[in-house]
Amino acid sequence: MKKTILLLAMLLGMVGLLIACGGEEAGEGKSETTENEGGTGDTGEVGEKLDPVTLTWYLIGTPQQDLELVMEEVNKYTEEKINATIDLRLLDWGEFDERMQVITTSGENYDIAFTSSWANNYALNARRGAFAELNELMDQYGKEMKELIDPAFLEGAQIDGKLYAVPTNKEVGQQAVLSFNHELVEKHDLDISTVNSLTDLEPLLAVIKEKETDVTPIATFDAYLPFDSILQEEMPFAFRLDGNTDEVVNKYEEEVTMETLKVMHDYYKKGYIRPDAATSTDSWPLETPNWFVRKELYQPYAESVWSRSAGYEIVTRPLHEPYVFNNSVTGSMQAISTTSQNPERAMMFLNLLNTDPYLRNLIDKGIEGVHYEENADGSITDLPVRVERYNMPSFAIGNQLILKLYEDDPADKWEAFEEFNEKSIPSPALGFYFDSNPVRTEIAAISNVTSEFSPALLKGAVDPEEFIPEFNKKLYEAGMQDVLDEIQRQYDEWKENQ
Amino acid sequence: MQRLKKFGRNIYDNRIWLLMILPGFVWLIVMKYLPMVGQVMAFKDFRFHPDGFFASVYHSEWVGLDNFKFLFSTNDAYLITRNTVLYNLVFIILGLILAVGVAIILSELTKQKLAKIYQTGMLFPHFLSWVVVSYFVFAFLSVDRGLFNSVLEMFNIEPVSWYNESAYWPYFLIAISQWKGVGFGSIVYLAAIVGIDRTYYEAAMIDGATKWQQIWRITIPMIMPLIIILTILNIGSIFSADFGLFYQVPRDSGPLYSVTNVIDTYVYRGLMSMGDIGMSTAAGLYQATVGFLLILLTNYIVRKIDKDSALF
Amino acid sequence: MDTLPKSAASTKRKRFLPLRKKKKFNPYGFSGKTSVVMHILLGSFAFLCVFPFIYVIIISLSSEQSLSLHGYRIIPEEWSLEAYMYLWQVRSQIFRAYGVTLFVTIVGTILSVSVIALYAYAISRKQFLYRKQFTFIAFFTMLFSGGMVPFYIVMTQFLGLKNSIWALILPMTVNAFYIIIMRTFFQRSVPEAVLESARIDGAGEFRIFLKIVLPLSIPGIATIALFNTLAYWNDWFNALLFIDNPSLVPLQSLLMRIENNLDFIRQNAMLSSQNGSILASIPQDSARMAMVVIATLPIALSYPFFQKYFVRGLTIGSVKE
Repeated sequence: MKKTILLLAMLLGMVGLLIACGGEEAGEGKSETTENEGGTGDTGEVGEKLDPVTLTWYLIGTPQQDLELVMEEVNKYTEEKINATIDLRLLDWGEFDERMQVITTSGENYDIAFTSSWANNYALNARRGAFAELNELMDQYGKEMKELIDPAFLEGAQIDGKLYAVPTNKEVGQQAVLSFNHELVEKHDLDISTVNSLTDLEPLLAVIKEKETDVTPIATFDAYLPFDSILQEEMPFAFRLDGNTDEVVNKYEEEVTMETLKVMHDYYKKGYIRPDAATSTDSWPLETPNWFVRKELYQPYAESVWSRSAGYEIVTRPLHEPYVFNNSVTGSMQAISTTSQNPERAMMFLNLLNTDPYLRNLIDKGIEGVHYEENADGSITDLPVRVERYNMPSFAIGNQLILKLYEDDPADKWEAFEEFNEKSIPSPALGFYFDSNPVRTEIAAISNVTSEFSPALLKGAVDPEEFIPEFNKKLYEAGMQDVLDEIQRQYDEWKENQ
Repeated sequence: MQRLKKFGRNIYDNRIWLLMILPGFVWLIVMKYLPMVGQVMAFKDFRFHPDGFFASVYHSEWVGLDNFKFLFSTNDAYLITRNTVLYNLVFIILGLILAVGVAIILSELTKQKLAKIYQTGMLFPHFLSWVVVSYFVFAFLSVDRGLFNSVLEMFNIEPVSWYNESAYWPYFLIAISQWKGVGFGSIVYLAAIVGIDRTYYEAAMIDGATKWQQIWRITIPMIMPLIIILTILNIGSIFSADFGLFYQVPRDSGPLYSVTNVIDTYVYRGLMSMGDIGMSTAAGLYQATVGFLLILLTNYIVRKIDKDSALF
Repeated sequence: MDTLPKSAASTKRKRFLPLRKKKKFNPYGFSGKTSVVMHILLGSFAFLCVFPFIYVIIISLSSEQSLSLHGYRIIPEEWSLEAYMYLWQVRSQIFRAYGVTLFVTIVGTILSVSVIALYAYAISRKQFLYRKQFTFIAFFTMLFSGGMVPFYIVMTQFLGLKNSIWALILPMTVNAFYIIIMRTFFQRSVPEAVLESARIDGAGEFRIFLKIVLPLSIPGIATIALFNTLAYWNDWFNALLFIDNPSLVPLQSLLMRIENNLDFIRQNAMLSSQNGSILASIPQDSARMAMVVIATLPIALSYPFFQKYFVRGLTIGSVKE
């Protein structure tokens, strides 16, 4: 018994030591936080009228070691401008959704939260009353920002005429592209300029399959289908992009789906796709050149970003014109919670964040001289410490078009974004947000049927002529028609009010 | 008044015992019973209210049993219930036999040093998360890189696309679950066996009982109460499945759904696109209620047979 | 398992065994042939259990390049220590996580075993008038719980435990399942006669509990302690719910976060244009496996510590019920 106690005591001692060692760095940051009261002064006219407040801001992204250090600088600035300090909390990618659901449902007080079509779902939360309406607040405290953000965002993100979050100004359109491993293109002297669709790939894939035994021609992807999907991408309900665009359809009943998936399955049978495509979780890292073609979503100059992280050249071919979908306008936004005690101040902060290049760059890139260096021409270079200690998710924070450019970025990068946004075509159901509540029982069942069939079909792993009819049969058994009717009803109603 | 007085005296008489249960009791009230009010969400169409959770619950509309509908509405309802119950029955029975068997063998092994090494080894799978187990299983079952197909190839047998063939999966899942659970499951029985009074065995040996007879006549009867209690408790979770085993290990492969879709995976997939808290609460409540009724029934039967072995 | 009856039957001969235990020979164990069969049986099963872990170690020692080209192999194309070098680079984070895990596990286990043992002992005694009610109160929580959100509200808004190390300890302190197992142990291994004689000697119930009951129930206590230790060590969910502060994140949670991130990014095609920058912050396959190794090995090897208490002869043999 004595021995056991001794052992425990030793263990506990060790633990204390470990925590003490680990805690050092965190402690250092803290000690500096408090002494930044003064410093108001010239821009003080707003600051003097407002009471000091702290805004809690939940953002998606891996927690960063230097966050505290940077936020101290941020707070100096925001205190001066709007007399608010920002308590930025990063929640990791994989847990953001679940955490935010618990936080909102429990009614916890917070001010700002990241929301989007793919994490902390914008439409669902807005409909259920988690987010404050922003139209008036924005007219009052966010005029500058309203002018800067592409109107396509502000219009497309409105649910029944009300805006519930501030969209991040970035590429508004969504465009699927095929990207190619340029080394292989050159080596086999292939002509990719004629590739405009999945079908056009055939001759190229055949060459790669024959001559490059170590390369899988296709880095597993879901076939591109020309629809504007309601709810998730793989769910069956959708509007057509051409033809009769006012009618909601089951995309798995459409001819184009069958044709595309047949091609996909043909590629699968020919061995262009991994035999395990449907079940493998390979992430196909860019650094490993064991692929020839893959599908990605494009933004201007994406190929240079990809080439940089791959370490070899990557070239792209578009599969379609860029479209503005609900999913793309709500791709990255900041919402103000209905539980917020200071919605006005939160709006002021978002306005500042989206219009003030100093603040925007500070939160994104860190502190000059610590995390990055500014070059003579105004471009910047990351210091190694930034990648390790302050690697922030740029697209999730705010207006991207006021960010500083890297030395190897093209000087007209942001102009290209604007151009890209201008030529993006609004999709038929842009701004129509389906309320799934009346048919939630059916959707739960359809969700199950979809996850049973769609991954294997979209990746080409099974024969569509056999499986699509079965898929559709099960979809209708699960209540497909009721859901289609409900969507059509809501859509017609919405359309009338436009 | 009389009754109240008696109650007061009873409390006083039992004060020492009440004191013992106090810390645990407070914990149960705060951490388990207090949050139970949340079950009411199962009957509401949950909407947020700026005044916090209770206001949200209060202002949300009653929808009766609407949130439960999705569990029963389709043909899948039968399938997922059947899968969940059958797998769990197999897990309970097989798990019991294997865990008790292993515990008995371990306790009877000569060379206890080796026995301890086996025991430690058998506990290893308990530490691997289902995600890691699924990587490992994939290394065996992958079509082109898997160990199984390489072996088949050696014998010139056509490779099998394992993740598309539902026929094999009930066996895989049962084997994997037992592999992961036996080491852990046998610990408690082993502890019970080593606690058995040794004089019983000594007496039996003097009477000339064989090892086999000793196991049947002494060991098993002595650990029977524990076996019964654990089995009753396991029956309570017969409507809940181990999500990781049925979702991660088969890699969410569609062609396998007929044998891998269980209530928990169905609920997860169904609510993925909606995140409806009312519906997920309803699913949990349904599973718990059925489990509760089954436990009461089992306990009732056990009590008829042997009052001392019952749970309560 | 079929071999059990057969082999046991083959040893059907009378054996008179010495009652004194000789070293190296366990008179209570199986005899010759059966013993060999059982050793082979359990030995090979144990190997099957350890094998995936060996495999995990192998992957952690493979080069990343060979993993993405050829997938996981039993014998990798190319060995490499890069995964462990990566872990060494982030050692401050890992050591801190180890510290948190150890603290939570040790404090949690001690607290948990004390509370559970007291509760279970009370409801195991026939003298306790309300034993049935309190058994039921505990049992009921095994099935019905409030769900995540109400629990979260209790923890954060009533108890104020967000970002506190107690948020990792308190949620798992009591477990009705363990209470009921422990109750069964107390009922079986503590004969009433022993307690009666102690009571006659004038000992108080707490004293009896400490001096007589606990020593008699060491295998049971050790089992519950082991279960708690494993549960605390493996827990990642509470950290996910309650901990934002990176210096309070336990080891398993660190690992789980990485897995969750990977999963999330794979499932979100929307992120593909940003993939490069996000994926860059996630450790690669071999590094993740190396983390599995360092998160699992210490706890798995701690088992012998508990095994010490799973030994025969701790019960008082002379008194029978």
